[in-house]
Amino acid sequence: MELNNHDITLPIGIVSPTDIARLSREIEGIDNFFRDQKIRVGGETNSMPRLSKLMDQLATENKINLLVENDRSKVLTILEQLHKSAPILHISFSVDPPGAYVQKVVAWLRRNVHQYALVTVGLQPNIGAGCVVRTTNKMFDFSLREFFAEKRDFFVEKLHVAITDPTFTANSAPQDNPVSVEQPNAIPTPITVVSTPDAEASS
Amino acid sequence: MSLGVLLAVLIVIAGLCGLVLWALLKPESAGKPKAKKTLEDYSEKAKSDVEHIFNDEFREELRNRGRLHFEKIISENAMFLQQDLRLTTSQLNEFMKNEISSVLKDEFSKYEESINDAKQLAIDSIQKTQDTIEQQRELLTQQLNEQLATEKSRSLSRFETHMADIVNHYVLEAVGEQIDLSEQLEFILSQMERNKEAIIKDIRDGA
Repeated sequence: MELNNHDITLPIGIVSPTDIARLSREIEGIDNFFRDQKIRVGGETNSMPRLSKLMDQLATENKINLLVENDRSKVLTILEQLHKSAPILHISFSVDPPGAYVQKVVAWLRRNVHQYALVTVGLQPNIGAGCVVRTTNKMFDFSLREFFAEKRDFFVEKLHVAITDPTFTANSAPQDNPVSVEQPNAIPTPITVVSTPDAEASS
Repeated sequence: MSLGVLLAVLIVIAGLCGLVLWALLKPESAGKPKAKKTLEDYSEKAKSDVEHIFNDEFREELRNRGRLHFEKIISENAMFLQQDLRLTTSQLNEFMKNEISSVLKDEFSKYEESINDAKQLAIDSIQKTQDTIEQQRELLTQQLNEQLATEKSRSLSRFETHMADIVNHYVLEAVGEQIDLSEQLEFILSQMERNKEAIIKDIRDGA
């Protein structure tokens, strides 16, 4: 079964395939609860499982009544389908990002890339700043490390000048009215590296 | 006493005897044949006179004179011989000196020539060795310069690469943690916006 764009609306709190799996288990727990209710003997206590915040959001935004078996079945099917076929992007940051930060990125992805895009967050402290986005077949390095690597020739050129030009130190000393010199672009040009995700792991 | 001196003494003695005999026999040979008897007489007389004249004393006298004369001659000859010997010795010395000098001079000249040849050979050999060493030095210098240039280029390249890595690492370490994530969000979203099409295409076409 293929997902349609209007089957379900994913709250931005649902970020990763883990969240999908957790919701699926939660739905199954509710189903189990109702099955228990049917076969329950009188006098036995049976409490309703507590719904998570994500499940609340999912039910609210999609107007799902979790007490109705058909709705639960439909949501469970959609969640399983999402778990199987939703596009997953792996994004690595230099530090562990807070949840709200990731949700902003996920919101942008669902607005601009895919409605059901899911994100797994990784950690790469050596990238300095920015992030590295890895899709199924490609890796997009938006990190400061890549920016520096791209500007290596500029650095080497300046290094040559510093070594070979004896007046470099005098000329490079701070001045009252500094002359504008050629500088690299303030915004680094993204580099699309066509490689398999395994390349990142090996590097 | 040498053989020459003895011969001279014998010749002198024989000469004296001949003179005496000639003086005694000369008057009878010029006389007449009829006087054979007289001659015989004279012969007898002569024999007796000879015996009478040449008696032991006269003979002793003659022997003494001969001895003295012989000694004189021997002395003279010895003196002459000594003179000759001295002269010969001096000449021989001079000759030997000249010969030895000449030979030594020749030998020394040959020796000097040999030394000069050997010296020249040594100089040539040293010169060749110096030339070879100079060539080797130039070759070695050239190779060393080439290797130096290569090593310099390689070291410079490595220095540049490593320097860039070091600076990058330093800046990332120094600045990375100072950049707030919230300040990076705009940059990250802008980069995603730039690559949106590629991301969508990869998601759409990906397995």
